[in-house]
Amino acid sequence: MGLEIENVGVRFGSFEALRSVNLTVDDGAFVTLLGPSGCGKTTLLNVIAGFLKPTSGTVRMDGMDISDTRPEARDTAMCFQSYALFPHLSVRENVAFGPRQKKVPKNEIVQRVSKLLDQMGLDIHAEKLPNALSGGQQQRVALARALAVAPGIVLFDEPLSNLDAKLRDQVRTEIRALQREVGFTAVYVTHDQAEALAMSDEVFLLNKGVVEQSGAPREIYFRPRTSFVADFIGAANLHVGKIKDGAMATPFGPLGVRGADALNKTVCWRPEVVRLGGDLQGAVTASAFQGGHLDLFVSAGDQTVRLQVPGSHEFDVGDEVSFGLDPENVVVLADEGHVDA
Amino acid sequence: MKRRHISTILAIAVSFALFFWLAIPFAMAVMWSMVDPGHPWSYPDILPPKLSFERWRVVWETTSLPTAMLNSYTLAPVAGICTLLLAAPTAYAFGREEFRGKAIAQVVILIPLVLPGFVTAVFFASLLLSLGIFEKYPAVLLGHIVLYMPYAVRILSVSFSQVQDDVVNAARDLGASPFEVFRAAYFPVLKPGIFAAFLIVFVLSIEEFAIAFIVGVPDFTTIPTILFSYLGFEFVRTNAAVVALILVVPNVILMLVLERLLQSANPASVSGKG
Ligand SMILES: Nc1ncnc2c1ncn2[C@@H]1O[C@H](COP(=O)(O)OP(=O)(O)OP(=O)(O)O)[C@@H](O)[C@H]1O
Ligand SMILES: [Mg+2]
Repeated sequence: MGLEIENVGVRFGSFEALRSVNLTVDDGAFVTLLGPSGCGKTTLLNVIAGFLKPTSGTVRMDGMDISDTRPEARDTAMCFQSYALFPHLSVRENVAFGPRQKKVPKNEIVQRVSKLLDQMGLDIHAEKLPNALSGGQQQRVALARALAVAPGIVLFDEPLSNLDAKLRDQVRTEIRALQREVGFTAVYVTHDQAEALAMSDEVFLLNKGVVEQSGAPREIYFRPRTSFVADFIGAANLHVGKIKDGAMATPFGPLGVRGADALNKTVCWRPEVVRLGGDLQGAVTASAFQGGHLDLFVSAGDQTVRLQVPGSHEFDVGDEVSFGLDPENVVVLADEGHVDA
Repeated sequence: MKRRHISTILAIAVSFALFFWLAIPFAMAVMWSMVDPGHPWSYPDILPPKLSFERWRVVWETTSLPTAMLNSYTLAPVAGICTLLLAAPTAYAFGREEFRGKAIAQVVILIPLVLPGFVTAVFFASLLLSLGIFEKYPAVLLGHIVLYMPYAVRILSVSFSQVQDDVVNAARDLGASPFEVFRAAYFPVLKPGIFAAFLIVFVLSIEEFAIAFIVGVPDFTTIPTILFSYLGFEFVRTNAAVVALILVVPNVILMLVLERLLQSANPASVSGKG
C-alpha cells in the first residue's frame, strides 16, 4: 500500500511538533525515519496510524485521502515504542488479538500466531503474561502482534531498541525477510543510523519537525545536503571557509573542492574516503585500532579531523601524517553550518 | 532478611489489632443479640447465662424489619450501580481529558463530602417536595446517589488516568470495536477502581441514616432507621445488637465476593519504555 504525506503539521498548544512534513512511500517499500530524540518521529507515526489528527495537511493511502478515517478502519498496524501490550492477556492472546478483531478464520489465526511466535523466539513464553517477560521479550511480542494482522502498512517505532546486538541483527533480518515475503509497506523509526542505512530503500532524516533530507542510504551518506545531515549520519569532517579557484584553505593545507568560488561555505568529507600521502598534513592526537581499520584523529591548528585507514598501518600519538582527498569526495553543503572544534 | 523479619512482626501486630478491633465487638454483638429475655446478662458474668433466639424473633415480629431489609438490601446495590454509571462520564473527563477549569471542578465535586449528612438531608427533603417527588424509595435512592457520587468520581478518575493512551490506541489500531477497546484496554485497569467505588457506595448506603430517616419518615424504613430507634431514649442493647448484625451481613458477603474477584484479576499495568 502506497503512502503520501503532504504538508503535515502538528501543534501541541503553541509547540510545533511537526512543521510541514512531506513524504511519499511506494507500495512495498521499506523506509526509515531517522532523527534525534524529540524531532517528531513518533508524532508522525501517530498521524499515519490515525491516533492524532494533524493540524494541517493530508495523509493519503493508495491515493485516497484518509485524513478522516478512524484508526480501526485504517490498514495499518503499529509496533509501539512503549510496547502497549494488553497486560491481562497472555503472549499468545496478545498476538492473536488483531486477527481476531478482523475475523480471520480460527485455524488460520492459530497458524499465523504460532509461526510468528517461533520467528520471534517466543514460543516457550507463549502462555506467560507480559509482566513476566523481560523488556526485550515484550518488545518482540509487540512486534509479533503488529505483524499478525498482516496490514498494508506496518509502522515500527524503534522496535529493536531493547534487544542486544546479536538478537537485534537476527530480528532485523527476520523483519526484512518477512517484509519481502509478504510485501507490506514499512515505515520504520530508529535512532540508530547504522540500522537505517542497512535496512532501508529510502531514508527520511527528520530534524525539528521537518524532513531535512531524504534519499537512498548511499545518497544520504555520501551526499549530505546540510551539516546537520552530515553530522547526524556517520562520522563527518567539516570545514568552514572561503572557496577560491577550486580549493579551500584549512589548517591542514589547501583542500581541493569541486565548487564555485564562494565566501562562506561548509564542506564535508567522510573519514573513509581519505588516502595516505598527499597535500594535507597534521599530527596524530589519538588512534584506535578497530580490527579491519584504524581510526586516526589528526590535528592541525585548532581543528581535528578523523581518518579511517587500513588496519595494517601503525601510528603513534605525535606522528606527523600526510593525507589526500579526491575533490570528488568533498561535498559542498547548502547551509553555513558550524564546525565542532 | 532483617527487613523481612520486621515486616512479619508488623503483619502479625496488625492482624492482632484488627482482631481486637473487629472480632471482639462482633462477638459481643452476637452474644448480646442472643441474651435470653428471662435471664439478663449482667456483671460479673463473663458470658450470657442463657442463649436463645428470642430477641431475633421479637425484633422480626414487632418491627417492620422484613420490609426494612428489603429496602436496605436493594437500595445499596442499586445505588452502587447507578452511582458508578453516573460517575463514569465525569470521571473519564477528569482522568483523560484536559479542559479549562478542571482543577476547580475537581474541588467543587468534593463539596458534598464536607457537608454534614443531616444538613444535606433536610434541604434535600424540601427540594424533593418542591420537585414533586413523593415516592419514598426513589427519593432516598436519589439522595444516596447524590451523596456518594463524589467518592465514585474521585476513585474512578484515578483509575481512568491510569489507562495508557498507547494501549487504547493499540486496541483501536488492531481493529477493535469500541466494546472490545473497553474490554481490552480500559476494563482491566478500571476493575479495582470499579470494585472499590462500588464497595464504598454500598457500605455507606447500607448504613446511611440521615436521608433515609428525614426523607423517608414516617412510613419508609431501612435497617439503620430501626437500629437508631433502639438507640434513642429507650436504649435496648439486645435488640440493637440483632439489627446491627443484620446490617453487617451483606457487607461481609460483598467483601468476600470482591476479594475473590480481585484475586482472579490480572496485573493491571505492564512496564515498558516510553
Ligand atoms: N501530547 C503531547 N503534548 C505536548 N507535546 C508533545 C506531545 N507529544 C509529543 N510532544 C512533543 O513533540 C515533540 C516530538 O515528540 P515525539 O514523541 O514525536 O518525538 P520522537 O522523535 O519520537 O522522539 P524519541 O526518539 O525520543 O522517541 C517532543 O518535543 C515532545 O515533547
Ligand atoms: Mg518516539
